[in-house]
Amino acid sequence: MTARHFLAVVALVQGVLLAALLMLIVLNRWFRLRRRARVHPRRLAVEGVMQRWALGQADVRVVLAQLARLPVSLAVDAIVSWSARVPGDRWRQLASALEREWWARMVRSNSNSARWWKRLETARFLSVAATPADTARVLKLLRDPHPAVHIAAVATLERVENAALATAALERLPHLAPTVSAYYAGMLRRSRAVVVQLLLTRLARADDPALARLAEFAARLQEPALREALTALARHRDPEVRTQVARALGAFPHPASIAALTPLAADARWPVRAQAARSLGMLADPVSLPLLRAALRDPDWWVRMRTGLALTRFGPSGRNALLDAEVGADQNARDMARLVLGLSPQALAEFAA
Amino acid sequence: MNELIRDANLAILFYFLALNSFYALLLVLSIPEIWEQTRLAEDEDFQRLMQSDALPPITILVPAYNEQKTIEASVTAILTLHYRNYEVVVVNDGSKDETLEALRHAFDLYEIPRTYPETIPTKPLRALYRSRTRTKLVVIDKDNGGKADSLNAAINAGRFPLVIAVDADTLIEPDALLRLTRPFLLGRRIAAVGGTVRVANGCVVKHGQVTDARVPHGLLPGIQVVEYLRAFLFGRLGWNRLGGNLIISGAFGLFRKDHVLAIGGYHPTSIVEDLDLVVRLHRYLRSRKVRYEIPFIPDPVAWTEVPESLRVLARQRERWQRGLVAAVWQYRGMLFNPRYGRVGLIAVPFYAFGEMLAPLVEVFGYGITAVGLALGVVNVPFALLFILVAWGYGMLLSLWAVVLEEVSFRRYRRSGDLVRLVLFAMLENFGYRQCGVWWRLRAFFSMGGRKHVWGEMTRRGFETATK
Repeated sequence: MTARHFLAVVALVQGVLLAALLMLIVLNRWFRLRRRARVHPRRLAVEGVMQRWALGQADVRVVLAQLARLPVSLAVDAIVSWSARVPGDRWRQLASALEREWWARMVRSNSNSARWWKRLETARFLSVAATPADTARVLKLLRDPHPAVHIAAVATLERVENAALATAALERLPHLAPTVSAYYAGMLRRSRAVVVQLLLTRLARADDPALARLAEFAARLQEPALREALTALARHRDPEVRTQVARALGAFPHPASIAALTPLAADARWPVRAQAARSLGMLADPVSLPLLRAALRDPDWWVRMRTGLALTRFGPSGRNALLDAEVGADQNARDMARLVLGLSPQALAEFAA
Repeated sequence: MNELIRDANLAILFYFLALNSFYALLLVLSIPEIWEQTRLAEDEDFQRLMQSDALPPITILVPAYNEQKTIEASVTAILTLHYRNYEVVVVNDGSKDETLEALRHAFDLYEIPRTYPETIPTKPLRALYRSRTRTKLVVIDKDNGGKADSLNAAINAGRFPLVIAVDADTLIEPDALLRLTRPFLLGRRIAAVGGTVRVANGCVVKHGQVTDARVPHGLLPGIQVVEYLRAFLFGRLGWNRLGGNLIISGAFGLFRKDHVLAIGGYHPTSIVEDLDLVVRLHRYLRSRKVRYEIPFIPDPVAWTEVPESLRVLARQRERWQRGLVAAVWQYRGMLFNPRYGRVGLIAVPFYAFGEMLAPLVEVFGYGITAVGLALGVVNVPFALLFILVAWGYGMLLSLWAVVLEEVSFRRYRRSGDLVRLVLFAMLENFGYRQCGVWWRLRAFFSMGGRKHVWGEMTRRGFETATK
């Protein structure tokens, strides 16, 4: 074959491919428009009937009938988006009714699918429609190798209180990337009773490499039963653990919290000191005022900033402390006091958030 | 002589065969990638994510130079993004107009002391401000030092572990940050992640947001829509699978701050700072054997205005090519170097021999064909066939990008827009491509020229673009 023949063949193939691509573009748009024309009214019907059902004006069987008319993926989308808008008891009624639906059974059976997107669909469905009978399925999805699947599955904990699921998620939490771990923590907050017991056991192990993560999670829970376990970690050698403890103790108004925060406010690491100052502000106990007055002279700007903001939570006495610092001898404290006193209430609220 | 011309023709033929085969590979690889990304994007539960405090905090870096008229609207639009935890650091790079005054007036700024270390050296800071009305906002006023220098100043001031550089004249879709953080939520080891940049010309823009995506009627911006689709939807998606994305758009890319600090931030003397940053990031992470990914994800979108005049477009393309040549030369040590893995063995060689040298080879090809025709060594049908194949291949790639857009995101809903997209994909090879080759070729001869400080794009402005 000569170069010319070769080029001629290539040109021919290109011509065919170009025509095929043009056809593909046209057909794709045509099919989509047709599909939309077919499915869109059904989606609107589901929206309407869901709305009526949520208001108690329609029977759940009507909802099920309309959902069954949608393609499965759209039915899953519909129930996921409506799950946040319907009260819990009423939603549970729909979830149990869905157990008998053919398409819901099909979605459930996909938890064993070799294709991750099918398992993802199942996980999304179960995150809003799981019943106690789905525990084994959700457990399996929680251990799924595809991150999107187990992240979707962990959302089941928002609606289902189940010790086995909570334990599995908590066991996995410290080993996940920070962002995923934080997401898990958010979901686990709903299963408080189980989680608190598990955390008490884990926080007692001072050599646990996952301690910082667990302490961080404990801080998010703001559970009084965890206070003692957290104060016991205030002198832990890992600064990250101390930072998390300092952050957490602000949620526990108790003399023991102040006692634990006092050494943390003088910690060698500035993130620990900053969190301790913030927590002392949240507790707003007059006993800690002298400590905060001193912290306003801290060499680190963020510690001073957190201290200044903390003082604003003490009412008139904190304001007086700031006014004193504004005309005091220390330049850093003067600047910070001036800055904080100049902040608008909105800015203070946003900083506190 | 005849032998020489014949051999040269054959060499050019093989060059384009190899290059186009590689493009075909990228094209094939883009199919599973866009499919996966589309599935993930469609299944994402944004309400749940928005309510979650798991989202990583982000510092948005906004360098500004002489943006007095638009800065308030740009910053306000950025401050209304749907994301829970972020701060905005605006850098006034010694503007000659009233940019700082505009910011001060709009956001009630108050001066604060600089308390963070200058990890990356920059031009002297004049002052640092916070806003009394918008606590997410920090404003830096500094001596003029260029865009890279401004970005470095903003990185120094940022508090959060992720940074994203945004041009003051880029419109980010409200949920784009949320979508951009998806790889982090999937627990991947991300060093940087890029989103799609689309052409805003012709679109309807209201209150800093694109409310109706349109394909412009003008030939120049219209062809650039196809170009951008091609570059993003199959080029970068294909590179995802090859593990060597070398470009994360400077207008819309999210980076891990600790990595950026470790490589010394943006290079103030680089011509194209985003390419330079990503190549250095690869070099740094590969040489330290850090496991990382620099993916591109297609559904987060930022809109930008593209040049509508040949003069401005020529300047832009010439600058991009100069940046590429400078980067390839500067990091030539990575070329075919197995120490840098697929980046050294595939990505850098592709950019060196495929992207950088392509205009040289193409012009040489036109020249040698002309000489061959004159001497009777190359016959006319062969030359025409060659040109037909080369242009046909270009059309195929552009049409493929349109197909990917159609089967995935379908931003352009009207049939008229689709027709124009197809038309521009066809027309691109007739004149526009040759102009592009010429502009890129000129870059080789202006390498020693002026350094890039701030882009000199002439903009019509978003709100007026559709009138």
